[in-house]
Amino acid sequence: MRKLVLKISGVVSFLFFLILLFVANNLGRMQDSQTMAERWSEKKDVAQISCFFSVNAGITEDRIIEFEHSIDSALTDASVVQESENPGARLWADAYSADGRIMLSSDRSYLEADAIGIGGDFFLFHPLKLLSGSYFSGNDLMQDYCIIDQDAAWQLFGSSNVAGMTVSIGGIPHMVIGVVERPEGRLEKAAGLDGTLVYVSYQTLKELGSCNGINHYEIVMPDPVTSFAENFIREKLGTSEKETEVLENTSRYSFLSRLKLIPAFGTRSMNGRAIIYPYWENIARGYEDILAVVTLFELLFLLYAIVLALVFFGIWWKHKGWTLKDVWLYLKDKAERLGEKLRAKRLEKKRNPDGSTGEIKRTPKKKERTKKKERAQKREEKDL
Amino acid sequence: MSENGKNKREWVKTAAIIFLSVMLVLTFFANSIMNYSLPEVATSYVQSGSITAKIRGTGTVESGDPYEVKVTESRKVSSVAVSVGQTVQKGDVLFYLEDAESEELKAAKSALEEAQKKYELAVLTAEISSSNIFSANENVSSEVYRQQITNAQAAVQRAEKAYNAAIDAVTAAEAAVVPYQQQVDQLTQKISDYRAQVSYESSQDVAARDDARIKAAEDKLNAVVSGGDAATVENARKELADAQNAKAARQTTIVNLNAAAADMELQKYSLEKDLAAAQAVVAEKKAAVETAKAEWDEKEADLNKLVGNIANVISLEQMLDTITEAQKLVDELSAKSYDATITADISGTVTQINVTAGNTTSASSPVAVLQPEGAGYTLSFSVTNEQAKRLSVGDRADLVNAWRYDDVEVTLASIKPDKNDPSQRKQLTFNVTGNVTAGQTFNISVGQKSANYDLTVPNSAIREDSNGKFILIVESKSSPLGDRYVATRVDVEVLASDDTQSAISGGLNGYEYVITTSNKPVEAGDLVRMPD
Repeated sequence: MRKLVLKISGVVSFLFFLILLFVANNLGRMQDSQTMAERWSEKKDVAQISCFFSVNAGITEDRIIEFEHSIDSALTDASVVQESENPGARLWADAYSADGRIMLSSDRSYLEADAIGIGGDFFLFHPLKLLSGSYFSGNDLMQDYCIIDQDAAWQLFGSSNVAGMTVSIGGIPHMVIGVVERPEGRLEKAAGLDGTLVYVSYQTLKELGSCNGINHYEIVMPDPVTSFAENFIREKLGTSEKETEVLENTSRYSFLSRLKLIPAFGTRSMNGRAIIYPYWENIARGYEDILAVVTLFELLFLLYAIVLALVFFGIWWKHKGWTLKDVWLYLKDKAERLGEKLRAKRLEKKRNPDGSTGEIKRTPKKKERTKKKERAQKREEKDL
Repeated sequence: MSENGKNKREWVKTAAIIFLSVMLVLTFFANSIMNYSLPEVATSYVQSGSITAKIRGTGTVESGDPYEVKVTESRKVSSVAVSVGQTVQKGDVLFYLEDAESEELKAAKSALEEAQKKYELAVLTAEISSSNIFSANENVSSEVYRQQITNAQAAVQRAEKAYNAAIDAVTAAEAAVVPYQQQVDQLTQKISDYRAQVSYESSQDVAARDDARIKAAEDKLNAVVSGGDAATVENARKELADAQNAKAARQTTIVNLNAAAADMELQKYSLEKDLAAAQAVVAEKKAAVETAKAEWDEKEADLNKLVGNIANVISLEQMLDTITEAQKLVDELSAKSYDATITADISGTVTQINVTAGNTTSASSPVAVLQPEGAGYTLSFSVTNEQAKRLSVGDRADLVNAWRYDDVEVTLASIKPDKNDPSQRKQLTFNVTGNVTAGQTFNISVGQKSANYDLTVPNSAIREDSNGKFILIVESKSSPLGDRYVATRVDVEVLASDDTQSAISGGLNGYEYVITTSNKPVEAGDLVRMPD
């Protein structure tokens, strides 16, 4: 009886392991900001890389433009070429953002809010849930757009269906191009989404708001060899170890990466860099912590199941009632019989070329085997 | 045993019933449950429409040809007589200034004093004569000085030439003396030779020798006469006669030599007279050289003195000029120091006043800016190169909130590289006409005329991945449980975009539903739910 309970516990533990594995894999993938590579290409040949810069890193738009120009030649060197037939298809897309504060005013009220100044295809990487309107891009012709969340829309206009309305930032009219839903949750609130957040172009934030400089850059690009993209960015855009942090989003929640998080327990929270993480990175780091714990449990459940399986295997092996030699002899016997059968078939064919086959009698082996099994079971029960 | 079996059967029955009822419920609600789990999408028609890409910008109206009113000294303003927007006529007072010695006047006064001191000091110096001072005050032109110097230089040259000529004359005279001297020397030599000959011929030794020869001849004769033959006597007699003749001949020679010497003495005397005359000429010429040299030195000294004098005069003149100018400035500034005003130099509208009463003007920055009558207004702002490409000079711009302004027209006048970032940005300048004043801020939009396209979709419908841009359209499929909607990918090319719409080309018929937003991520091939 005890044995049965143990067996069930082992199976349950393994089931728990499988469930946790499934949960862990999906928990990471739930964040849209981390799964750009999946969205960008169905084949697993692209990687999403993020860079975070400290306030003193001195990353400018010019520096990023310069870097963008170096990507194509690097890809050509790595023999990555555009295969898509669509003339507008791109091999890579990138985005950057800066953190700051900005003052918006509409005809009826005004609002000072945290702002993210964006450049490049920011919303391709961060597809926030649109309540109305559309996204904008740093590559658009005009850069006087802003995207506000429903709180800001309510405060400024008293409605959330305000796409197309005009707000004034620093005296310059800007068009509200979209209204997004601000993600809510414990992690999200702690990550910096506790107040109104406004998305404007980097140019607007720099010129009309207070800006802490570009603190984030990310790119999705072909990754012909593992870590090719990450190393390329590290080499070309990383200023110094102290000022920059480069990480690959695509593999950050893989089982292997999660395993690496466990030994970093305790030291992970230490930070000697003056980097302001954007909210999505804070959330992603929060999930990393959660996943580290989940992975630890995963391992414990797996370990328990494996240990139990090994023990039972040992016991069963000890009382199996047959030896490897028996198996070998049995297999050999089988092979010989098969050979004989084939020979007989060939002989028959030669004798009766019209196709009729002679019957070959089979030995009643099956019965013997069942008997053997019964015996072994009885023995086991006695032992326990 | 049978009890046990019965229980088991009961249990199986119960399980089967529960299972079947759950299945029944699920079958009834399958559609709703499935619908609930599907992402709900918002859609819009693909339709034909127009795309108008507009460039928007904000700028401040400025005077097109501003006139800056400046003052040259820093003075305290006691009151401002005009206000921004006021129309002024040429000569109208703009500012009243407080009575005060300006910084510039103080500086001018001290400069004047310094110049005067410098002049006095120079006048006291020994090198400067009163005639210099007189000439300086007379303000002689430099042409006169140049003439004087030229004359002095010519005199020096003449004296030098005369000196050289005198030197040449001395050389010639000295050459003339030489042949006389030589002749005199030769004659003197000859005379001395003759005299030596005479003294030798007439000396005692020669006479004694002659006498002894005669005596010896006489003695020989006497000896021969008494005892010798005739031939010997003859020889002796001949010898005696020869000796006597020789003595006599010597006397003649002496006489002749003396005569020749006397003759030569005469000749020499005459020559010596000529020589003396020639030497007198040499001496005369040498004296002339001395005179010429003295003359030359004198002329050179004159020239140097003249140059020195002129330098003195000029430096004095300069000092006097400085004093005059400083005095003039002092007078001018002094005149401005009291009851001074700043007046308008042109007629126009005051667009800017940079000082207020109580503040001090500065020489470098304008105190006021006037918009001349009839000159236009401009407005400018900076755009990216990409934006500038879509514009051309002459484009009419629309005012945002146009209802606020009547009859204001804004036209693009120029597109030039932005001075702050010439490679990336362009400066757009617009002409503004109508009822405006400088300082007003306008938000304007300018752009190409709208173009019509067959297929347009909202910007939010455009998606992108490594295969390029695409849209998701909703295709409906009939199923026994009702219509099913499937999101289907259509690759498109974006031809043009404006703030809200994009024109696309791709395999579309023009009446599809295109997904704009959804409450969950949607991928191609997913089943989706349309809002009720």
